[in-house]
Amino acid sequence: MYEVCTIVENRLENPRTNTLFFDRTFSARPGQFFMVWLPGAGERPFSLAYPNGLTSKVAGEFTAALMELKPGEKLWLRGPYGRGFPLKDGFLFIGGGVGIAGLRLLADRVGRPRFLLGGKDAGEILYHEELARLGEVRVATEDGSLGMRGLVTDLLPAGGEHVAICGPERMMAACLSRLTQRPSKIYLSIERYMKCGIGLCGNCSCSGRLVCTDGPVFTASELRRMPDFGRRRRGKTGAWTDI
Amino acid sequence: MPSVPRHLELHPPLVNGSGLLCFLEVFQHLDRQRAALGGYVTKSIGPEGRPGNVAPVVYDTGHVMLNSLALPTQPIESWIEDFRSLPVQKPVIGSVYGNRVEEWPEVISRVEAYVAGIELNLGCPNYVPGETSLMTVVGDSPAMMREVVGLARAATAKPLIAKLSPNTDYLAAARIALDAGADYLGCGNTAGPGLAIDIEAARPVLSGISGGLSGDAMRPVNVKMVYDIYREFRAPILAYGGVSTWRDAVEYLMAGACIVGLGTCFAYRSTRQMARLTRQIWEGMQRFAGSRDVTHLVGAAHV
Repeated sequence: MYEVCTIVENRLENPRTNTLFFDRTFSARPGQFFMVWLPGAGERPFSLAYPNGLTSKVAGEFTAALMELKPGEKLWLRGPYGRGFPLKDGFLFIGGGVGIAGLRLLADRVGRPRFLLGGKDAGEILYHEELARLGEVRVATEDGSLGMRGLVTDLLPAGGEHVAICGPERMMAACLSRLTQRPSKIYLSIERYMKCGIGLCGNCSCSGRLVCTDGPVFTASELRRMPDFGRRRRGKTGAWTDI
Repeated sequence: MPSVPRHLELHPPLVNGSGLLCFLEVFQHLDRQRAALGGYVTKSIGPEGRPGNVAPVVYDTGHVMLNSLALPTQPIESWIEDFRSLPVQKPVIGSVYGNRVEEWPEVISRVEAYVAGIELNLGCPNYVPGETSLMTVVGDSPAMMREVVGLARAATAKPLIAKLSPNTDYLAAARIALDAGADYLGCGNTAGPGLAIDIEAARPVLSGISGGLSGDAMRPVNVKMVYDIYREFRAPILAYGGVSTWRDAVEYLMAGACIVGLGTCFAYRSTRQMARLTRQIWEGMQRFAGSRDVTHLVGAAHV
């Protein structure tokens, strides 16, 4: 059972990343996800970046098709699914590349946010101006084109009552080793290859937890008991690939 | 090979259906969550790795679930590595399939050392569009089924389950499977298959076009299958299809099943909630059985 929406704007964030705005909003807790179907192209999980929009980076045929969508064309969503972030004030946000999109909705919903953003270059630092209106933003880019030259982990440790992290898994794992907050107060949104999205097929297992229904947001204390985090994931056939 | 029935020791007599959850580390985790499952069934293991269909692979109409995963499987070497590195305390049943007749015993001989029993997936209705595989014909071909089950029987001395489709002449299939050496009959695979069209998209939702039906609405189909087969053969039966409460499980026992599989009821639930649901089902079954063992309920509806 899908809910259908119409694209009203396709905003180019950088040459490989775009945000699709819909003609309607969807209700979801930040960090939950929707299975997004584009007939003929396939179906993939996305957390919304806005109540009426999602941000996508080209990684294959499906996301390439999302990049080409024009106003008036349609998208099909089912969800929201999974466990999102808690709505608490005083979050330190740590986002890497398109992972920043996974934090965008939460940033609007909580008080006193602070942001640490990382990417290869200035173009990868999504929503920089929007987030700067909500709270302090510090940036690290690998080429030094925005903020300090380096990795987002170079900005750690940093203060914050709670931490929300979304980005490449190796970056997230590296953050954990540098944060001083208690593991139960650190929330990470993780990704695995999903097929059903609703707890049936098992393909998104991370050490036996299902990212679709147990996650996709886990605390750092939960991830301590999930040795596959930062190490390996199951692909389309179920076979392991290293991270 | 002697024809003495081989028994699965499953306490409680509940398992997951094949294709559901399906990986060993998920079974380990459900065990840690104290799931009331007496054993686990793997995703069907095939002769070579294949991704199956791309998403959408499931569609919930609100009344019934359609799925068309189409037998994704990691390569056998990866399964064996998992069996070695991810030990599960409860018995694990290896579900298997082959694309050619001779592949079934090959797959079995490679995995049977690691499992407590073998389930032959003889009735999966799903395939990748355009492909013609043995899976689409074996359930309808008595000669081929006799050969597959016979070869499987020769390849393992462990309990052998022939999982049949409810969509064929299952009494004939059951007779062939039992004659060829199956110890248990699996009743059954998903029903249909069915097809759902999204009217806004004006095309079938599932990438596989059609998909097997599961969930509450199809339970009567497989209850009848269990009832018919038990009446005819009094054979040990694993029942699958639309169980989400203890009442449903008791219904299958009364129809003639001795082991009940769970699947679609896990949808939308966290692993913790799945484990809790299995405990509720098992507690309800025991409560209903009262002072007697639940095995006394097997076949109780046959008068």
